[in-house]
Amino acid sequence: MWHKISWRLLRHELRRGELTIMAAAVALSVCAVLSLSLFSERLQAGLLERSAEFLAADRVLRSRDEIDTQWLERAQDEGLQWARRTTFNSMAFAAEQLALVDIKAVSPGYPLRGQLEVAQTPFVDGEPTDALPQSGEAWVASQLFQRLELNIGDSLEIGNSEFVVTQVLTHEPDSGLNVFTDSPNVLIAYADLEGTGLIQPGSRVNFNYLFAGSPGDIARYEAWLLPQLDDVTQRWRGITDDETPLASSLRRAEQFMLLASLLGVVLAATAVAVAAQRYCQRNYDAVAIMKTLGGARGQIQRIFTLHLLLLTAFSIAIGVLLGYSLQAAVIFYVQTQLGQSLPSAGAGPYALAIGTGLLCALMFSLYPLLRLIKVPPLRVLQRDLGDSAVRVWLQWLIGGGTIYALMVLYSSSWILSLALFVGGSVAVLILLGISRLFIRASRQAGMQAGSSWRLAMAGMQRRAKQNSVQMISFATALMLLLLVLALRNELLADWQSQLPDDAPNYFVVNVAQDQVQPLEQMFERENLVATDLYPIVPGRLMAINDELVRDAVTKEERDESQFREGFGRELQLTWRDSLPPNNILRRGQWFDSAQHPNGEVSVESQVAERLGLSLGDELRFLVGGNEFTVPITSIRDVDWNTMQPNFFMIFDPASLQTSGATYIASFYLPTERKNELYSLFRDFPQASLVDVDTIIAQLREVIGQVSLAITFVLVLVVLAGGLVLVAQVQATMEEREKELVILRTLGAKGSLLSRAVSYEFIILGALAGLIAAIAMELSVYLLQTQVFSMQPSIHWRFWLLGPGLGALVVGSLGRLTCARMLKQNTSQLIRQLS
Amino acid sequence: MMIQTSAVTKHVETTAGRLTILHAIDLAIKAGESVAIVGASGSGKSTLLSLLAGLDTASSGQVLIENENLGDLDEEQRAKVRADKVGFIFQSFLLIPSLTALENVMLPAELAGRSDAEAQARELLEKVGLSERLDHYPNQLSGGEQQRVAIARAFIGKPKILFADEPTGNLDSTTGATVEALLFAMNQDYGTTLVMVTHDNTLAQKCDRVLVMNAGELKEQRADVA
Repeated sequence: MWHKISWRLLRHELRRGELTIMAAAVALSVCAVLSLSLFSERLQAGLLERSAEFLAADRVLRSRDEIDTQWLERAQDEGLQWARRTTFNSMAFAAEQLALVDIKAVSPGYPLRGQLEVAQTPFVDGEPTDALPQSGEAWVASQLFQRLELNIGDSLEIGNSEFVVTQVLTHEPDSGLNVFTDSPNVLIAYADLEGTGLIQPGSRVNFNYLFAGSPGDIARYEAWLLPQLDDVTQRWRGITDDETPLASSLRRAEQFMLLASLLGVVLAATAVAVAAQRYCQRNYDAVAIMKTLGGARGQIQRIFTLHLLLLTAFSIAIGVLLGYSLQAAVIFYVQTQLGQSLPSAGAGPYALAIGTGLLCALMFSLYPLLRLIKVPPLRVLQRDLGDSAVRVWLQWLIGGGTIYALMVLYSSSWILSLALFVGGSVAVLILLGISRLFIRASRQAGMQAGSSWRLAMAGMQRRAKQNSVQMISFATALMLLLLVLALRNELLADWQSQLPDDAPNYFVVNVAQDQVQPLEQMFERENLVATDLYPIVPGRLMAINDELVRDAVTKEERDESQFREGFGRELQLTWRDSLPPNNILRRGQWFDSAQHPNGEVSVESQVAERLGLSLGDELRFLVGGNEFTVPITSIRDVDWNTMQPNFFMIFDPASLQTSGATYIASFYLPTERKNELYSLFRDFPQASLVDVDTIIAQLREVIGQVSLAITFVLVLVVLAGGLVLVAQVQATMEEREKELVILRTLGAKGSLLSRAVSYEFIILGALAGLIAAIAMELSVYLLQTQVFSMQPSIHWRFWLLGPGLGALVVGSLGRLTCARMLKQNTSQLIRQLS
Repeated sequence: MMIQTSAVTKHVETTAGRLTILHAIDLAIKAGESVAIVGASGSGKSTLLSLLAGLDTASSGQVLIENENLGDLDEEQRAKVRADKVGFIFQSFLLIPSLTALENVMLPAELAGRSDAEAQARELLEKVGLSERLDHYPNQLSGGEQQRVAIARAFIGKPKILFADEPTGNLDSTTGATVEALLFAMNQDYGTTLVMVTHDNTLAQKCDRVLVMNAGELKEQRADVA
């Protein structure tokens, strides 16, 4: 029988709109989490799929020597695909001309991710192909056509073998962004490698083994393989641990999405909490009546638990439906915009969303429900019974614990969760203090103010307890809103501003010293935006404070003793008078030849951290057969996302300037002028060009998608925030109605009452906005310093925007919610109240 | 004896110290009798009613319903006594706003697990003249209509005792008179014991006995008029 009563209550209450806020809050939380996590998961999968193309695989094992074939057999057994890619430098000859080239010999199956693109003419956009060079064929990059004056069908001599040039290689997924590989690529079949006779003991060859497969298979293989790797000669790489700009963008994208999801959850949970409290309070009478009419406690508990479960299930169903549709619409838009389809998501997001809905609805209803069940039957005679706030700490513990648990569950990052949680808690505490202070102050101020203000302040004072709680919720909603705005504006703008529309899209490398001036003149003449030309000298770091680094000693010695961590490779060194643009001096001073006549060096901050370098350390370098030692006089931050030549080590001109350097610059060439490239560089045959357009496009794509996701979250936050406000105002509606009746009866004018209601909400909103701004500032500070590794900054405009927005939003929403009450005549109100 | 109390005392702890609301009340109400309790506001009428109905427990003394001591029962058992033997009518009607008139009347029978709840409720609503208003919600009914629904609800369990707290207190005199007449007629039909708290002397005089509550003490006003 009891389930009939539950069902009946639910049906009628839903129809009469009494559960709308509660249902909407749960539905919104589910909708937000589902749409966001589906969107995020699909987007991430899409991005990873695209990013894997940068490796041409999911994982790459790079080795200085050939690996045991047993490792490849094992990969096959684990269900992975694999391919070989062997790269080395060599001279290539064609019609009496020669050039240094990067040879890439690949086995069938390459590339495992992404596609090669080829053309029949150099410097044009190519067509994707699944084919590979046949034995005896070579596919050659555009630059080599330029340098060796090649044509399709010409022959190219590499080592002992002769190849026929059959295609222009316009795009390789794994070409990377290492601009210093200034030699053009030549792609040949792996089977032809041995015939060239170039692979000899001691030759500088990179053996790369590409692997692709499902994440589970890869994880199993990794678990087996990684312990066997030699960390000096072998390196295992995945897309996320790659130090490319794309990899770091991906990491940031992931953090943004994570943060976005957290905000949605917290706000929806707040709305659920407010609505659940109100829902239970509204049922105090029903419980008292049922108990009076002989209902047993267990029976009533079952009735309301089932009622809540039914409501939760209904709301979750609505939320899933809405969330899925919303996500589908956004994905459709993204796919149309990108012209790329995104992989579908698994069951994870659904489980997460349903779990969140259940947790939110049940945990936040638990405490009010406990109080509801305890309402004594005597309430039918003594109306004030059943509202005593017993064990309030329990409510805070359950609520706070649930929010924090959801955050951690959702983000798997307790730091991120803690930042938001602490920000929120600080807001709550400060707000409680300030709201109490204000209420006390209003006792005096209210006496002097005009009658509407006096009424508004009296209203606030009377509802001191509820108002404190209301303000906390307003402030939370506003804080999250401001936080999203701040993140969107500050973090994203900061990030995106680093990639302006005219970000360089080509690198020109291998420029001889006597070509520097003509090249600069050409850039100016052709109106091309270019960076300065930076000299490059290859060199090695040998010792730090006379302590040898590992790469300065032989392999045998390395095994014997511990040496200081080095780069593990040759460095590209430069010299320069002034600090390059987009570099920020972190510590020390820029070059001063008067102070350091024997030379000095400036080190990039991450390298300094990794190698444990500090100001004043003496670094010994080997450059062109000469060793020299210089002190570190400055440490710089370098923004690797800018498409400009960046350097780990910059020397003052006195210490490095030599005649053997080549030069590098990057410049922006609008897409419509791409066909001019050949003629522009005809006079610079030795210079090589690297096209980074594709990489920039990828970066932009990531940024664009993240922007969209943040906008999407902002909409959800605004919706959830609005819902919290309405739920809050409704929670005080009965008391307001009572007051209104009294004041009307005493002859108060409608306009006076209406103004008083507006003022009350305006004050409430403005105060909540102020608190929100403070709390937002704290949260952003924590996020900036702990999560995003950015410089902390103060956002003054939000200190105005917060109170302004609070007053506007809360004022108008509160006024709207009370509009019906204000319109009713006194007798209607009296009847409703009785 | 349907209801019997001996030396029932009720006090509450306040910040100003202990406040005694009822002083050693002795009372006996026979089955089928109608008793009015009158008195000024704050005299303790409603407190006495809440003890008689088992909604609250006495600080000392005994309340017996059909010789069963309510003080020996826990909340669940007292609820069972109410389900089996007691009906209520309140000044503010106390209908559940999200249930229709029919469903409000069905509620006690359903809580008691009776399967004929709907048929019984329809019959009762017809009796109180609301057969046209079965699907109306409380806020769609006038005060008099709401109280008639409450009367129907009170009688659905065929209670032995009906407790009425100011049943016409919220109604105008004409509607009040109609509800009053209905209440006594139904009470007669069902042979219920009626215990009514009221301010209204005229209404009180219609009962078999009138008890006057004054500062927590109870005195008989009139011994027998039948």
